[in-house]
Amino acid sequence: MKDIVFTARSQKRELLYLLISFVIAALLNLGAILYYDAPMSEMFTSFFYVLAFTLFLYALTLIPRLLYRLLRKERRKN
Amino acid sequence: MLITMKETNLGRREFLKTLGVAGAGILAATSPWLSAFSEVNHTAKDRCRIGVIGPGSRGQFLMGFLAQNPKADIVAIADIYQPSIDGALKIAPKAKVYKDYRRLLADPEVDGVIVATPLNTHYGIVMDAFDAGKHVYCEKTIGYTMEECFNMYNRHLSSGRLFFTGQQRLFDPRYIKVMDLVHQGTFGKISAVNAYWNRNGDWRREVPDPSLEKFINWRLYGESSRGLMSELGCHQLQIGTWAFGKLPDRVMGHGGITFWKDGREVHDNVHCIYGYDTGESLTYGSVISNKFYGLEEKIMGNLGTVEPESGKYYFEEVAPAPAFLQMINSWENKLFDEIPFAGTSWAPETANVNKGELILGERPKTDGTSLLVDAFVEAVITGKQPARIAEEGYYASLLCLWGHKAIETGQILPFPEEYKIDYAAYGTKKFNPVTDTQA
Repeated sequence: MKDIVFTARSQKRELLYLLISFVIAALLNLGAILYYDAPMSEMFTSFFYVLAFTLFLYALTLIPRLLYRLLRKERRKN
Repeated sequence: MLITMKETNLGRREFLKTLGVAGAGILAATSPWLSAFSEVNHTAKDRCRIGVIGPGSRGQFLMGFLAQNPKADIVAIADIYQPSIDGALKIAPKAKVYKDYRRLLADPEVDGVIVATPLNTHYGIVMDAFDAGKHVYCEKTIGYTMEECFNMYNRHLSSGRLFFTGQQRLFDPRYIKVMDLVHQGTFGKISAVNAYWNRNGDWRREVPDPSLEKFINWRLYGESSRGLMSELGCHQLQIGTWAFGKLPDRVMGHGGITFWKDGREVHDNVHCIYGYDTGESLTYGSVISNKFYGLEEKIMGNLGTVEPESGKYYFEEVAPAPAFLQMINSWENKLFDEIPFAGTSWAPETANVNKGELILGERPKTDGTSLLVDAFVEAVITGKQPARIAEEGYYASLLCLWGHKAIETGQILPFPEEYKIDYAAYGTKKFNPVTDTQA
C-alpha cells in the first residue's frame, strides 16, 4: 500500500487556501453588515456562519484542484 | 405577601415559580384576587367543609381538585341524578348525599358550596345558599338573565358571604402574565381582541332514557341554557374586558342553527361584536361544526399579538436575521426564484411567518381551575373575599347574556346601565335610577 505524503509545502499551501477563504468570508460578512445596515458586532456574533462559509469556499477550491491532479496523473500514466 | 408566602401545595408553588418571584408583587396589584393565597401559611392546619350541588361532569372535575387539597373536606353532595351521585361518591366516599339541595344548605357542617348545576337553576340555589349563610362558588355563567346576575351579586354583598365564579383563567399563569404585559404596554395600543371557540361535535351527552333528554342535554335547550354564549363565551369575553380594562358600550350579534339540526334550540354558530366608545372592538365567535381554528383569544396591539391559549406572543417587528444570512438568502433567491408567469399581480396580505415566543417559556400545563378551587378553599377558611373576583365573574356573565340578547333581538344593544355595579377596575359605578335618569 502506498503512503500518502503530505509535505510541509503542501500543508502551507492548504493553510493559505483556508486563510484566503476565511478572509473572503469575513469580507463578505463585513459587506453584508454594511449593506443591510446591521450592527458591527455581527463581525463576532456571526463568526460561526463565517467559519462555515470558509469551509464551503475551501471545499470549492479543493474540488477543482483534486480534479486537476487526477487528470495530470492520468496524463503521466499515458 | 405573595412573595414571601410558603406554599403548601405543589400547584401553587409551581404557579408562583412559573411567574417569577420578582413579578409577584406587581401581580398582587394587577391580579388582586391572588390575595386569596395571602394567608396560606396561617391556614396550614385549618380545614373547611365543602358541599357540592350538582356533581355532574363539571362538578366531579372540581371535586377532583378538592379531594387533592388537604385543607378541604367534601362533606356533602346534592343531586337528583343517580349516575352523578355514584360518580361523586367515588371521589368523596364519606360525603352525605342529599336529593334536595335545600337540605344540604341546611346542614350546619357545610361551610361553602360549589354550584355546578344547569344554568337556569343557578339563581335559586345561589340565592338560597347566601340566605343559608354559605359561601358560594358558582360555575359560569352565574345567571340565566342579567337581572338574576345582578341580584346574585347584590345578595353576595348584603349577605357578606364569599362569591366565586368559575372564571378559571383569572388563576391561569399564562393569562396573569399576559395581562401584566398587556397593561404595561408591551404590545402597544390594543385595538382588538378577537376570541373564538370552535369545535366539531354535536355537544350532546348520551341519554339513557329519552325522558331525560332535556335534563342531561340541558345545554341545547333555550329554557335552561343560553347555548354557546353562556357555556363557552363567558370565559373568553372576560379576557377581552380584562385586557382592555373597561366595558364595551354596545353589542351586535348573529347566530343560527346551520349544521346540527337535531331538535336543539340553541345556536350552533354564534358571532358577536362588542364595541367600545373609544373605537376598540371585542369579537367573539363559536362554531361547533368546524374545529380547524380551535380555541383562542387574539389580543392585538400595534406592537404585537398575544395568543394566551396557545401560550405565545408575537411581536410585529421581528429582529432581522444576521446580515450574513440575509446575504446568503438573497443569493439563494436570485439563483432559484422563478419568473412569475401569468400569476397574480398582487400578493395577498397573509399572516407573517413568525414563530413567536412562549409566554412562560414552556407549553401551557394548566388552565387555572385547580388554583381557582384552591383559592376558594383558602377564602372559605379565612372568610375573606378576594378583591375583584366576584366582579370579574359578574361582568363576564353579563357580557355573554347581553350578547345573547343581541343575537336574539337582531339589534345593536347599548350596555344595560341598570346592571352596572361599582367596579373601579372597569370604571363603572352603580346606576342610580333617580339621578341618572334626570335630564
